[in-house]
Amino acid sequence: MKRYVAFTKKEFLEQLRTYRMLILFSVFFIFGLMSPLLAKILPEILSGMDLQGMIITIPEATAVDAYAQFFKNMTQMGIIVILLVFGGVISNELTRGTLVNVLAKGLGRHTVILAKYTAMVVMWTVALVFSGLINQGYTMYLFDTSDISNLIFSILCLWLFGVYLLSLIILSSVLAVGSFGGLILTVVVLGGLLLLDLFPKLEKVNPIYLSSRNMDFITGVLTPSDALLPVLITVILILANISASIVLFNRKRL
Amino acid sequence: MTILQLKNVYKSFGKLEVIKDLSFSVEEHSVFGFIGKNGAGKTTTMKMILGFLRPDSGEIYVCGERVSYGNTKTNRHIGYLPDVPEFYGYMNPKEYLKFCGDITGLPREITLARTKELLSMVGLENTNRRIRGFSRGMKQRLGIAQALLNEPKLLICDEPTSALDPIGRKEILDILSVARTRTTIVFSTHILSDVERIADTIGVIDQGKLMLEGSVQKIKNMRRKDTIQILLSSPETAKELAEKVKELPFVIESEFEMDTVLIKLTNAEEYGKEIMSLLVRENIPVLRYEILEPSLENVFLEVVG
Amino acid sequence: MNQIIEYLPFIIPIIAVEFILMIVSLVHMLKHKKFRFGNQAMWIIIVVFVQIIGPILYFTIGRGEE
Repeated sequence: MKRYVAFTKKEFLEQLRTYRMLILFSVFFIFGLMSPLLAKILPEILSGMDLQGMIITIPEATAVDAYAQFFKNMTQMGIIVILLVFGGVISNELTRGTLVNVLAKGLGRHTVILAKYTAMVVMWTVALVFSGLINQGYTMYLFDTSDISNLIFSILCLWLFGVYLLSLIILSSVLAVGSFGGLILTVVVLGGLLLLDLFPKLEKVNPIYLSSRNMDFITGVLTPSDALLPVLITVILILANISASIVLFNRKRL
Repeated sequence: MTILQLKNVYKSFGKLEVIKDLSFSVEEHSVFGFIGKNGAGKTTTMKMILGFLRPDSGEIYVCGERVSYGNTKTNRHIGYLPDVPEFYGYMNPKEYLKFCGDITGLPREITLARTKELLSMVGLENTNRRIRGFSRGMKQRLGIAQALLNEPKLLICDEPTSALDPIGRKEILDILSVARTRTTIVFSTHILSDVERIADTIGVIDQGKLMLEGSVQKIKNMRRKDTIQILLSSPETAKELAEKVKELPFVIESEFEMDTVLIKLTNAEEYGKEIMSLLVRENIPVLRYEILEPSLENVFLEVVG
Repeated sequence: MNQIIEYLPFIIPIIAVEFILMIVSLVHMLKHKKFRFGNQAMWIIIVVFVQIIGPILYFTIGRGEE
């Protein structure tokens, strides 16, 4: 346990000193702030444009639009930032050989995987809460938020999807070789899941559900009970990814 | 007590047999020099001892415990210095050693005390900048400090000196000479003078097989092929002498270069007088007559040739 | 004018974050001068003129190995 805590602390120090923490929090801060702002000013900009006499009527923006912007940013740019910030967490150590000293000291390989995953999940959680709070504050400043439902649940779904994505990064990095192998494999798997999401029959057994139906929960089209199966599937996949990573990493030749 | 033991170890990568029936053992408080050309299988052997590679067959024991592949408990007895040690560049040496202490479960006070002691032993006690700017030699010295932090029974060094300049090499050898008082050392190298300086026993590996094993002195004497070097006044007489001695029955080989003649023979002390009497008989003026010490290099070249 | 005052709580933090990212990357760049690809002039231009994205690219893919 002491060893696990020590390695997790090292991960945080690494994220801090390699500026990855700064990047993650800056970007998530900007998402939280820009989403309500964009929702507010986009209609004003559009209506201000002179489209050769065409009159376009754009409804006044509401809090729903602000959340729509937030989830759009998070599930597009946000995922890219997560991949850039965490994509090298294992590959960098394997290609540079920094784990050799650590493993030669008898630190269990499962401890390395679990400590890294813990640090990643904690960073993602804190960054998401931080971004969500800023978004909430500014949305309340600009809009009336009375007709919003299931906001926390919707964000929890996004959080669980992120936790799944991080487990996928770990498994891919253990499987693939080279500095970018893990990152590429993660992107390929994500692409595959997005394709599967096109089949309505399969949408509920796909973690993508948790990152694509967020607005349906907020507008009340879907209720949390609709997400029961996807949540269950995603939790199982997370556990499977991490177990497989540990088993494969134990056998990996260094 | 036997610290390290290999029994009939085999390892191949695909069709390439890297290690063939390797067996040897290392006793406590000795320095074992593991000698071989590049690609002879030294690093592969060390990685198997650390459980980073799986032997195809055979057994490896560290302090009497069997090494298992992957997660091996035996690593708690081992300190390892890789050939090119890599560290987290964003830490300074003290932070790195503290991290090493924490992941091996050492109590904080002990880590701090040993960090101080080891950093001054390797000459990094006043280096507080981050590791990313370190030279090869500094990394090697920090590598020894981290390997000795949890007072391992066995210190394994993979080519600790080969990437360094002569000054760096001397520093590392001096540090290892200090370290030998507290642990057993196994180190690999292809630089024979390093072995002669600090090893008590050696093993010579070639094409995955152990060709020779024993104490440095024993091996030097066992393969006794002596060399006499004679410096003459002119190249002509050197040529003449080289040809004359070839006819003597105890001379294995003779050659000359400029005005120097090298004579290889079975026993320089016994047959040396016959060479001398030949010199007197033929009236050849000698500037210098010298019996060369048997060197490990000669032994190595003979064995590995 | 009223509009600008209304949006000040947005504009000031965004400019602050952009500025912090830019300064931190420039300082890091001038101290290390190592890049995985491209040269210093190119990265200075990217970091100064491509707000937010520039520094992110620098820190995640642009800067050299330690």
